[in-house]
Amino acid sequence: MLNCDETMDRLYAYLDRELTDEELTEVQGHLDACPPCQHRFIFEANVLRLVGECARHLAAPPDLVERVRRLRTC
Amino acid sequence: MSRNLDEPAEEATALQDEALTHIDALYRTAVRMTGNPMDAEDLVQETYLRAFRSLTQFRAGTNLRAWLFKILTNAFINDYRKRSRRPRSTSLDNVEDYYLYTHLIDSGIQPSASRPEDEVLASITDESVVQALGALSEDFLQVVLLADVEGFAYREIADIMGIPIGTVMSRLHRARRRLQRSLTESRTPAACGNGEATGAQL
Repeated sequence: MLNCDETMDRLYAYLDRELTDEELTEVQGHLDACPPCQHRFIFEANVLRLVGECARHLAAPPDLVERVRRLRTC
Repeated sequence: MSRNLDEPAEEATALQDEALTHIDALYRTAVRMTGNPMDAEDLVQETYLRAFRSLTQFRAGTNLRAWLFKILTNAFINDYRKRSRRPRSTSLDNVEDYYLYTHLIDSGIQPSASRPEDEVLASITDESVVQALGALSEDFLQVVLLADVEGFAYREIADIMGIPIGTVMSRLHRARRRLQRSLTESRTPAACGNGEATGAQL
């Protein structure tokens, strides 16, 4: 079973869904048994989610959309 | 398989229509990369011009969104990078292993909320995120935008940026550390959106 440091090394790969099934099982096994690490992972997941949400609040101006629409070749 | 030139025009039209659905994502990325809405509009327009002209090079069945971001990246590098005042890269020595969570624990913050991390999460606003993104070097910024804002996988980011997947991972890790440091330094009281902190991702 992974220890806390080994689990932390896999923090972002886990949150980014980049772990293999085997690695995912190992990390999940540690998190299920270790509330402090689980707490930490939840916090990091929330930071990433909020950064993404805040940065997505920007849409293309309508006149740009119209100009690009006119670029279509057919 | 490459698209054939004699494919029905309807298919090209459908691809162009689908490409247009990604304009908001391309625009917000262009704004962050150029740091200037006017340059961003020009960059997005140039991206679509190149994409529509080279639709025959688009490989059917592959990721149209990633292909558009790759064109945007190349257009930025070739035509807009010289105008950007953003540092292109950050030296390894310049990024300490900073974690917001560790900072919270180490600083012994005792705010009014029963869970101090909830208070920190509630302080992440549109403004603080834009400011923190603006403090990143170009290499760090792009990987954060592609991963955390646009949700691309490591392999897609490697292809878009033309760098090894290992470089994507190490750059993303360091960029997130830097971003968290900036967010800590610019903590403000209002929350982003409804900003509810949940553990739903796990």
